[in-house]
Amino acid sequence: MGSAFTPFGALTIAAAAVAAIILLHHLIARPALTAVTRMRLLLGLAVFPFLAAVASTGSGMHRTTEREFCGSCHVMETHLSDLEDPKSLGLAARHARSPIIGPTACYTCHADYSMLGYPLTKLNGMMHVYHYYLGGYRNWSLEQFHAEVRTAKPYPNQNCKQCHSGTLASFTNIKEHASLAEELDQNKVSCASAGCHGVAHPFSKTKEELSK
Amino acid sequence: MINRFLRLLARWPTERALRIACILGLIALAMMVTGVFLGTPIPVVAAMSVAQGFGVFACLLFGLSIAADVAGRRP
Repeated sequence: MGSAFTPFGALTIAAAAVAAIILLHHLIARPALTAVTRMRLLLGLAVFPFLAAVASTGSGMHRTTEREFCGSCHVMETHLSDLEDPKSLGLAARHARSPIIGPTACYTCHADYSMLGYPLTKLNGMMHVYHYYLGGYRNWSLEQFHAEVRTAKPYPNQNCKQCHSGTLASFTNIKEHASLAEELDQNKVSCASAGCHGVAHPFSKTKEELSK
Repeated sequence: MINRFLRLLARWPTERALRIACILGLIALAMMVTGVFLGTPIPVVAAMSVAQGFGVFACLLFGLSIAADVAGRRP
């Protein structure tokens, strides 16, 4: 049902409905171009459509952070079903069970943590849309996708630290964290690796990758 | 430059341009509402790009039509 029942979604529909009534009236009744008609058209072609555009952009931006949106492409079905599996022990699934980040789990973990993280992540998402609809992924089987497609760059540990502070005792008291501090900072060792907290999406990895 | 613009306005088909603006506006609004209702990648991306382009174009047509109408009524 998309985001029709969110505040932004409802505002989009309401503003679009008012504007559509004004425009349909002008097309059907064809009134003379008086001052009243101009004012009505200003509302129907500028004010209410602007409101609808702002609200639909807000609604769309929010929608693109929801995990159902990411899972709407068939190659992400197993990722989504793993997140929704209460018995899954994968790193991503365990995080998705959190009521705070669960509904937007994909975006929360994959959005890069920097000043430009938000727009760059959205731009990167456009590349995903391109690869899916024009790059051929749409016609790929899940098996082919899991075998051939990997994340574009190594997962940055900095993203984990958005939530898991590296300064609290619960982090620093772990011997491995202290001994690997430099490697973790330089992303030479990944938090999401087999020897540490486990890979995020184990079902999509080969045996060799799972043992790394 | 200004004279060329005024000449363009004098020949501007106000009624027709307004009808086209209304149709483009309706298409843009329909795309935005579709994006909100369906919430799948293509409708959402179209609502935030193509629909807004149509909306801006419709608004420009409206602005030019009003300018042409006002210019045409001047003595």
